[in-house]
Amino acid sequence: MWTRTVKGRALHFYLAGINNQNFLMRDRETGTWWQQITGKAIYGPLQGAALDLVLSDELTFGQWRSESPSGRVLAPVAKYTKEYDPNWEPDIAKLPVVISFPGTELKSRDVVIGVSINGTDRAYPWETFAKQTPVLDRVNGTPLLLVLGPDGKSFRVFVARIDGHDAEFFLQADTQEWALLDTLTASQWNFQGCAIAGSAQGKCLDRVPALKDYWFNWRNYHAGTTVYKH
Amino acid sequence: MAFSLCAVTGIALFFVPAFIIRPFRYQAPRALQVAMSLRQRAPIGTLIAAVVCFVLAYALWRISSRWGKAVLTVILLIVTFSAVMARLNYFEWMFHPVPGVEFLAQSESKLDPKEMIMSVSIGEDARAYPISQMAYHHVLNDAVGGEPIVVTY
Repeated sequence: MWTRTVKGRALHFYLAGINNQNFLMRDRETGTWWQQITGKAIYGPLQGAALDLVLSDELTFGQWRSESPSGRVLAPVAKYTKEYDPNWEPDIAKLPVVISFPGTELKSRDVVIGVSINGTDRAYPWETFAKQTPVLDRVNGTPLLLVLGPDGKSFRVFVARIDGHDAEFFLQADTQEWALLDTLTASQWNFQGCAIAGSAQGKCLDRVPALKDYWFNWRNYHAGTTVYKH
Repeated sequence: MAFSLCAVTGIALFFVPAFIIRPFRYQAPRALQVAMSLRQRAPIGTLIAAVVCFVLAYALWRISSRWGKAVLTVILLIVTFSAVMARLNYFEWMFHPVPGVEFLAQSESKLDPKEMIMSVSIGEDARAYPISQMAYHHVLNDAVGGEPIVVTY
């Protein structure tokens, strides 16, 4: 998700094409071509401009509802409901791939969580992540915490730092309600990254934007990416 | 000769980018640049080419045989098709945009709790975009908490 104000003007985007299975959009105002995954203007009057990333989440509806009870949901468009694919995830995974990176650790359609910290990129294979959650790592000096939600599908990435001090986190034993515990203050944290009990209560961890994507697409736009291994 | 040149121009301006930017095919960086630059110029370029082609065809019509007229007609049809298509966005025929963006309260939504959504929250404004819907529409212009944003999937 991107902000769409460029040089003080709100642009309106539309689908305009495809570039190696990542779509191209154009804006009605200038006709400039933009790459979806990077938010960059790649051709036209605004070439070189970049949209600002908006922090967003990929969650289950249930998880989101519990966090944002007054939030609103995009209404389905009646005449297109038959086009909506309830099975989109496995169906998209079956689509052909036109670029590949042989010799890299992952397969083209492997799902990764991509994170960029000040120009350093790292991909976390979803399978590894889901098995190990929470994952603690360090990218470009920043301690990261990647967490799979209580629903087993939602995910978030945080800076693993409490008041400027690096902290480690682990899952509370599964006999109890879902919560993370930190080793620094022994506080309890919820999936939104906020301390709900303990001496850190009321504090929230900083969020890190992260992209859930296929390996081929992530690797295509982040040539220097490393892959998390453990 | 002039007619052939104008016909080739008018037809290429639509068909070359359409051929390069087709789904499930590799787009080389150079080819993509060519496609975007042609497509950028296609609306005006195909129109000029079509007008010139029609003028030249009018001049050629009288000296053409029956077969020659048939060929001229077919070429004019393709040139016209190209000029029309250069003004239309066929990607939006495959994946229609959301005509009027509307939102539901959670109680009105029929979404299963296990369904994936993309969500954003700016100020007091929290919104969810079901991925099953966004995987079809792909692009949605919205404003959340007064901030104009574009939701993409």
